[in-house]
Amino acid sequence: MNWIGLYTMLRREIQRTFRVVIQTLVAPVISAALYIFIFGSVIGTRIDDFSGVPYISFVFPGVLMLSIINASFASASSSLYFMRFTRGIEEILIAPFSYVEMLVGFVGSAVTRALLVAFLILGVGMLFGAITLVHPLWFVFYIAAIAAIFAMLGIIIALWAESFEQLQVLNTFVITPLTYLGGIFYSITFLPPLAASLTRANPFFYFADGVRSSMIGYTEADSTIGLVVIIGLVVFLGGLVIHLFRSGWKIRT
Amino acid sequence: MSNFPALEIKNLVKKYGEKVAVDNISLTIPKGSFFGLLGPNGAGKSTTIHSITGITQPTSGQILVDGVDVVKEYKLARTKVGLSPQEFNVDIFATPEQLMDYMGGYYGIPHDIRKARIDELIKRFDLEEHRKVKFQKLSGGLKRRAMLGRALIHTPDLLILDEPTAGVDVMQRHDLWAYLKEMNEGGKTIILTSHYLEEIQYLCNDIAIINHGRIIAHGTKEEFMKEGKSIEQTYLEIIKSEKTI
Repeated sequence: MNWIGLYTMLRREIQRTFRVVIQTLVAPVISAALYIFIFGSVIGTRIDDFSGVPYISFVFPGVLMLSIINASFASASSSLYFMRFTRGIEEILIAPFSYVEMLVGFVGSAVTRALLVAFLILGVGMLFGAITLVHPLWFVFYIAAIAAIFAMLGIIIALWAESFEQLQVLNTFVITPLTYLGGIFYSITFLPPLAASLTRANPFFYFADGVRSSMIGYTEADSTIGLVVIIGLVVFLGGLVIHLFRSGWKIRT
Repeated sequence: MSNFPALEIKNLVKKYGEKVAVDNISLTIPKGSFFGLLGPNGAGKSTTIHSITGITQPTSGQILVDGVDVVKEYKLARTKVGLSPQEFNVDIFATPEQLMDYMGGYYGIPHDIRKARIDELIKRFDLEEHRKVKFQKLSGGLKRRAMLGRALIHTPDLLILDEPTAGVDVMQRHDLWAYLKEMNEGGKTIILTSHYLEEIQYLCNDIAIINHGRIIAHGTKEEFMKEGKSIEQTYLEIIKSEKTI
């Protein structure tokens, strides 16, 4: 394993993150702080508890997940697309990285940025008293796995896109709608039966529920299905990205 | 040191759809050679170089660097090759020091060794004043020197220079030539492509001309300069005769 090479990829992404710190760290934290303030202090005080859980504690895991998804996807997609655009990707292609190492390097870098954002948002959440961690190890597993899934989706989009506009396609038409419809702001018990069934077919529902169950112990999904969905996506997307790197799709001529 | 040639290309073919960019090239470059690869624009030089370095996937054929297959044992093969490409394939917001640092890291060079090597290359290429200046702010010549530093960070056995002096002024070009000659005399194998044929004549001891994806001439510098001709005269004769075929 090329450990120094992998560490260098990670170091480079962190330096890139701090080069555009307003976009990468400040903006998501402000956005999350606004969500927490509005749903915690404004709306939340007028909404009954969910099974003994304050509304802000119910919503916070979803807000955190939303930020992790955005940070991880943006990191992987913009980093790789920019490298394709400037041909800087050739630095990676001519270096002694295996295809698995390339996957680990890109995903690890994106997950690191996402965890940095998550850490800052957890700090904001603490200020509003919205943080509990019932199952810390499961919490780490869920946020790392979700960040990895969206890092890999970011890689695929970065390989596919032919313009900066196309980089936003998945985010605009898939990630954002499915995230908001995945029950991050409401309980599926509020929904009519058909809508609740459709929500259960939405993988984002299991992402949000997994993070929420690890933080506050409240769950609405079958956790076994959730784990199968999450682990299945990690394995499938990991295999797909390795295949794309090996085939050289859009990166080798 | 192994007894393998620095580079062996066997029946290399690269196609882009129906277009044949490299058409069954075979070439052996011995260790210690200073090899000039000439040809018009679009002849297949860069495609051949990219096939050696892993930027391009060959359609068929085999490439061995110091006996190591660049496809089957690509990780090992890549540690043996350094590339200074024709186009600036860099993060334009990075500094020369960062470019060398990142590349050295990618090659797995430990921090202390990497730092010493960067200092050495920065000094050798006279980049001290510019080591922390963003690449986009550098002049053409400084950019070329930063690219060379990056290519040499891992002390490769085989150095490939694709138009390394394009945009470099005369003084800097001569300084660079002196450095390349010194490296070659120290045993490093160098492949050079250039449209400056006086550069090829001054530096190279073996020369090949590629056109339409095929090697159409290959020999020593002396063979290319027989009857008192310059490399440029011989080159033009060969290319013109090729066009009339």
